[in-house]
Amino acid sequence: MSDPRATGSARYAEDFELPGMLHARIVRSLFPHARVVRVDASAVPESCIVLTPDDVRDLSPYGCQIEDQNVLAERARHVGDPVAAVAAPTPEQAEEAVPLVEIDYEQLPAVFDAVEAAQPGAPLLHETAAAGGAAAYFAMRPQPGTNICHRFRIRHGDVDAGFAEADAIVERMYRIAGAQHAHMEPHACVAHWDGNRLELWTGTQTPFSMRDDLATIFGIPPEAIRIVSLPMGGSFGAKTFVRTEAIAAALARKAQRPVKLVLPRSEEWQTLNRHPATVTVKLGARADGTLVASQTTCYADTGAYADCGPGVAQKMGFAAPGPYRIPNVRVDAYCVYTNLAPNGAFRGYGQMQSTWARERALDTLAEQLGLDPVELRLRNIVRDGDVYCTGETLHDVRFAECLEAAAAAVRWSEGRRGKGIALVMKGMQTPSRAAIAIERDGDDYVLRCATTEMGQGAKRALSLEAARLLGVDVARIRFPDPDTSLVPYDTRTTSSRSTYMMSRALAEAVRDPRGYGEIRNEGGLDPDTGQGIASTHWHQGAAAADVEVDEETGKVTVTHLHTTTYAGRVVNRLGAELQTEGSMIMGLGTALFEEVAFEDGQVINANLSDYATPSFADVPTRFTYELIEEDGADVHGLGETALPPVPPAVGNAVASLGIEVDELPLKPETVLAAMKVRV
Amino acid sequence: MHEPEWLAPASLEEALALKAERTDATVVAGGTFVGILVNQHLLAPTAFLSLGGIRGLRFVAEHEGELRLGALATHRAVELSPLVREKWPALARAFSLVASPRVRNRATVGGVLGDADYASDPPSMFVALGARVVVQSRHGAREIPAEELIVGYYETSLAPDELIVEVIVPGGPHRAAYRKFRTRSHEDRPSVGVAACARDGGLRVVVGAVAGRPQYFPELCTGEPASIAQAYAEAIDPIGDISGSSEYRRRVIAVEVRRALEEIAA
Repeated sequence: MSDPRATGSARYAEDFELPGMLHARIVRSLFPHARVVRVDASAVPESCIVLTPDDVRDLSPYGCQIEDQNVLAERARHVGDPVAAVAAPTPEQAEEAVPLVEIDYEQLPAVFDAVEAAQPGAPLLHETAAAGGAAAYFAMRPQPGTNICHRFRIRHGDVDAGFAEADAIVERMYRIAGAQHAHMEPHACVAHWDGNRLELWTGTQTPFSMRDDLATIFGIPPEAIRIVSLPMGGSFGAKTFVRTEAIAAALARKAQRPVKLVLPRSEEWQTLNRHPATVTVKLGARADGTLVASQTTCYADTGAYADCGPGVAQKMGFAAPGPYRIPNVRVDAYCVYTNLAPNGAFRGYGQMQSTWARERALDTLAEQLGLDPVELRLRNIVRDGDVYCTGETLHDVRFAECLEAAAAAVRWSEGRRGKGIALVMKGMQTPSRAAIAIERDGDDYVLRCATTEMGQGAKRALSLEAARLLGVDVARIRFPDPDTSLVPYDTRTTSSRSTYMMSRALAEAVRDPRGYGEIRNEGGLDPDTGQGIASTHWHQGAAAADVEVDEETGKVTVTHLHTTTYAGRVVNRLGAELQTEGSMIMGLGTALFEEVAFEDGQVINANLSDYATPSFADVPTRFTYELIEEDGADVHGLGETALPPVPPAVGNAVASLGIEVDELPLKPETVLAAMKVRV
Repeated sequence: MHEPEWLAPASLEEALALKAERTDATVVAGGTFVGILVNQHLLAPTAFLSLGGIRGLRFVAEHEGELRLGALATHRAVELSPLVREKWPALARAFSLVASPRVRNRATVGGVLGDADYASDPPSMFVALGARVVVQSRHGAREIPAEELIVGYYETSLAPDELIVEVIVPGGPHRAAYRKFRTRSHEDRPSVGVAACARDGGLRVVVGAVAGRPQYFPELCTGEPASIAQAYAEAIDPIGDISGSSEYRRRVIAVEVRRALEEIAA
């Protein structure tokens, strides 16, 4: 049996077609902030349908967490903001029509840095706070009169008193560049109206959020919308919530015909990237290394629209203190609008950014205290039954095991020059809900659930688990593409939750005489105090790196990269291993060179030649990992865990050579500059 | 917009005739460069002149002690040729460092010279080795020293009716090196490329990817490695782009030229 993905016979969202469909292209703003004064489409041939702001005035604004975005912008807030759209009988005709749509703009002042944008007096992107979106699972805390669309805080103990009793304090500011998901298949969808019913075939990780958001936009009941999530050729967080689907649906409504919209590669950088961030960490410890206080301030640059940025900032914030016992913790995380393209979900989801900052700061603190970085961590590491700064009790805690295994893998005890280590504590979507129905069809079992396939192997993992629970061969399990009109509600396929949550729902369904299973994880945090349950299930891991630095050019070569991840019970071994390898390679790109580069708000490397991603030749000679397993333990999500600790492990390895770099990526030029300032 | 015309001559004669008649046509061989330009809308030709159907231009051979590379020989063919590996190892290495095997299987010797892309590896190596480029039109053939072929960003000294048909690399004892300095992925183009060749008591040092054409200064090619390297770093005004700022590239030139010279002295 050959995998259709290997033979080329697999069909993705980009391959989907309906008879009589038109092909769409988006007309995008050339300016980072501008009022659209006039849209003139008179030069566009009559065979094309043009969608202008006038056509969508009856539609409601949308946004998964804050409803701050219109289907077409009458005020463009980033270069590439959709201002109009065209649909034509062929993709070529659509492309030719784009420059024929004439748009007059009145430019407005713009701001491109989140710290600057958060200050009073910065140009405002959204004058009034918009309503919370359907996927907002926590209370929004917009700061009126500023560009801050959400503020999250943790208040635990008394940090001032903590720092007062510290023998050593480090305080540093860390900057992390934006990144592009660079999924192989671009965003692609086909929209079709059947009377007042909307049908949409799209590659999405979030079919039910998509349905709910489109219901808001078009003012129709969610039941009048059918979303089919087709297999994706990669996503990494990019294909979440409404991206291009509302435009395709609005065009289809006007054209009275199905409309297909596939993004050209360059437009991916104008659609969604990873949040650039500035994170300031202050740590205090006693002379023996006992941590007494931790204070973190995060600025997450969410771009022109909030998207899921409030959630990203909140997770950046709640993961910031990390897996350490710290009696006094203060976190302030801000989600800030700027005139950059929207930033949203990206493998690691905010936690990569704060993990980089904290784990780098810990090594600087160890240096100041004259302690071994592994010892400093072990002295403070959380253990089973400890209470996190959010007030929740931690269970099945394996951080010390992960740390020690990673250290052993790079022979830490034989000398630590050129070596670095880092831990990650990553949350999972909380609260959330997963449900599944098992249907019998002859000898086969059909799994009806909304878990989507983006190449991560969810179908394989859940099919294997179903076969195991039902005691049948996996060949008898069928798993059709999720269709919201046929499958029960599931929150979404994100945050490495699906194997864990859906397999538990599956176990319920196998026990249930009707074949239906549903699981909820309850919790959530008070955004003002950070108290509550951040995550009912924590992803635990460590990375270790061995590096060489070219002293004359600043070029970093990773000679050995290792990760240790707590896996609990492994459902799909090959999938677990491949997810770990993929996360590590993606982490290397973030560590060493990936960066979305801007000039005056315009992305200047919006193609895969100028935006470099790691190739297999970039994988270190020694590239190792281990999964800590335990029979009978919970299944642990593994889709992202090995990514966030990789950049700080590499950064700490470079720092062990006396080169302190606080920003990502560790470009040769940046490293060389840091070498010049070292004492 | 009309579909561009695809001109596919079956012989060199036919190709040269078309090259003279169809000045609007863009020459395409492996398509790895032209394909990117077309996809990025930087190029929208009315016609392509495809050389893919021409036989007899894919050779990698030795003739009277010189290496002769047909214009349609692929990067991969040069990289893997036992002949090139044995007698011109630095050239094999320069070709082996270009992009990925997928690209090297398509990209050609004539293409990488004719594109005159500043951030390619092989042109600097050809200049350092003292290669000659054979170009041909309906009226005959001529040889151009490699250093005179590329004259600026994406610009060559080819006449409008000429095609590159062959590259000739002198043989005999020589010591050469190619150093590719990348700031990003292993498959990335160079931030700085350095080619050096010592032969018959003479030295040629060429720096690529830092300016519109390979940088070669015969008058600076004497002295100690470090002083030559310093002189090159001072003589070149490097461009700044996403692969490195101008100031940084200047520093890397000083380091990598010295290392290349140390390599061939070793």
